[in-house]
Amino acid sequence: MTEFAQFEEFGYCYPESERFSLDQITFQLGAGLTLLNGPSGSGKTTLLRCLNGLVPHFHGGQARGRAWVLDQDLRLTSTRRLAREVAMVFQEPESQFVLATVRREVAFGPENLGLPANEIADRVAVALQSMGIPELAERRIATLSGGQRQRVALAAALAMRPRLLVLDEPTSQLDDLGAGALQLECQRLASQGRAVVVAEHRPWRVEAPGSRHLELNQGSITATGGSRRAPASVGARPPRSLGPSAWEVSELTVGHQAPVATSINLDCHQGEVLCLTGPNGSGKTTLLRTVAGLLRPLSGSVQRRPGRCAYLPQEPGGVLHQASLVEEVSQTIRWLRLDCSPWPILEDFQLSSLAGKDPRDLSTGQRQRAALAAVLVGGPEMVFLDEPTRGADPTSRQLLQRVLDRLAGEGSAILVATSDTQLAQQIGDRVQELASGQLRERSQRAA
Amino acid sequence: MNPRALAVWVAAVLLLSLGSEDPILRVLTLGAALAVLVAHRRVETRLRPVLWAVGVAALLTVLFNVLLSHTGQTVLVSLPGWLPALGGPLTLEGAAYGLDLALGLAACIVAGVSLSLVVESYQLVDSLPALLSRTGAALGAAMTLVPRLGHSFVAVREAQHMRGWRPKGMRSWTAVVVPSVLTTIEGSVLLAEAMEARAFGSGPRTALTTSRWRVTDLVIAATSAAAIGGFIAALVFGQLPAWQPYPALTLPTLSWWPALCCLGLFIPALLP
Repeated sequence: MTEFAQFEEFGYCYPESERFSLDQITFQLGAGLTLLNGPSGSGKTTLLRCLNGLVPHFHGGQARGRAWVLDQDLRLTSTRRLAREVAMVFQEPESQFVLATVRREVAFGPENLGLPANEIADRVAVALQSMGIPELAERRIATLSGGQRQRVALAAALAMRPRLLVLDEPTSQLDDLGAGALQLECQRLASQGRAVVVAEHRPWRVEAPGSRHLELNQGSITATGGSRRAPASVGARPPRSLGPSAWEVSELTVGHQAPVATSINLDCHQGEVLCLTGPNGSGKTTLLRTVAGLLRPLSGSVQRRPGRCAYLPQEPGGVLHQASLVEEVSQTIRWLRLDCSPWPILEDFQLSSLAGKDPRDLSTGQRQRAALAAVLVGGPEMVFLDEPTRGADPTSRQLLQRVLDRLAGEGSAILVATSDTQLAQQIGDRVQELASGQLRERSQRAA
Repeated sequence: MNPRALAVWVAAVLLLSLGSEDPILRVLTLGAALAVLVAHRRVETRLRPVLWAVGVAALLTVLFNVLLSHTGQTVLVSLPGWLPALGGPLTLEGAAYGLDLALGLAACIVAGVSLSLVVESYQLVDSLPALLSRTGAALGAAMTLVPRLGHSFVAVREAQHMRGWRPKGMRSWTAVVVPSVLTTIEGSVLLAEAMEARAFGSGPRTALTTSRWRVTDLVIAATSAAAIGGFIAALVFGQLPAWQPYPALTLPTLSWWPALCCLGLFIPALLP
């Protein structure tokens, strides 16, 4: 077996950190697909960053033990040198975009490799095709949805035609079609004798026969082994008793300038969890923001009962700005003049032990939970969540489900926009699909 | 518009607006810069924030000059002498000179902004010589950070508003400004990391496309170059009007040769 990477008792500690994020890691990486599993904050992202040398070269810090990637000593080889053969897609793909349009963004990597223009054009076309987005080639990145951006980032990595492809939570915003396209592409690369390493909380979306699994926990590899199955779908949950309508939209047309969805009639009752699914770019976020009152409808009406609205944006990190997590939740309490303590919601999201930490020092999954705690504290009457399980591990998903169950039981009307159809089936009393500008009911829990 | 032709035009605007203090020439240059920006900006770009920024910069320039110059014969009002730096006469001449400076500054800002509103950042990168391609790519990435900051500000303001934040005085805006800036700084670090991970700087770069010259681009470059040449000739032959508002305000006089050079800068606005 060709070794793509070899780590021997490798450890790494970030600057100004007291704890080693990776501790005495020993493993060999061969051709094919390797899936990296583990809870939020277990060190997956750090290990992935080792594979292209960002750790330790870009971040600094302290490394010990030995590591080789593509026969290069990790400590002696710069990231830019490794990057000619190792491509990486980051957990937050929107942060990696350099240029303004899709075609040019996908071409950026091949341009850095110094390839001739006709080969760059060929690679860009093939990569866009493989991710199912050739029609987005001339679009501006700023106009794309989160899922579409994730596909662009993946296409940009594929256009580099790397020997080793490293993907950090690549399906967190992808619809089923996009995840399927990525799965095929991973299989194709594996069959060509290349290596693909994926950190993914829903590994069954990308894994293929023969995939290898590495389990990471608190910076150590705790297990290796074969395939994981998708958790069985939940059994029938008793339907909740619903109150009167909390909000209602009629003949609604939504969009920024041009309409993306028309003739929408929808309502949500107190005590109901309504999930909005649909393909990437179908307008889920636009509809959610319009119902929440953050965007003006192009036509039609939105009627909300008086009461507090809680809103979690798709990129929640931006709302966190206090020095500690407990301060962050307390800030919402102060602003809204709520009569409650920050601790119960922190406990609900298993964040009490991190309460004194700066939210920006947390992992992406932990940040997501922190943002949820900050917006959901105090039992809002209406809740609007945009991709709330982005980067969330199975435990975080369960915690979210539990909190939403509690809130719905207390009478909150909850709207969740998500590309995660499994989550929608698990938590939703009703699931509506938005596709091709129209809304249709996918499922409803029997009353 | 070809970015190289645009660059020649921008160079002409900068030279003509900074090379003379004559207000007539500066008004003409600012007019040309605005006309070209309005005619050629990309459809998706917004003009209003630019005009606001230019307006604020111009206003501050006038204000600072009035408050700090204390020179000139026509005294509008006198501030008490114990006020540090500000104390003394505020004059009409100071206001006129501040306005003149503001006109030049506004022309420069509008011309500079047109580099990002008329052409895409990647077109600028592509038009640079191979030797500067890495610098250009870094510049292109830097240019995306300004809209990112704007996007971040709007997103954070929205999210905080939904958490109950309401603007109450300057201090309350820290809840929006601090996370916006932090997010943008974090984004810059991530971008630098991503560029490194995408082999930026690992060797000589190539480009997917190269910018082409159309006849209109040649006309723009030629007229802009002629404006630069004409202005330098006017400077060399002493044909530039020498306007000075101090000690007493006088009206500027029209000098045809440099004025024609300024009028040449309107040509891109007339071309498709």
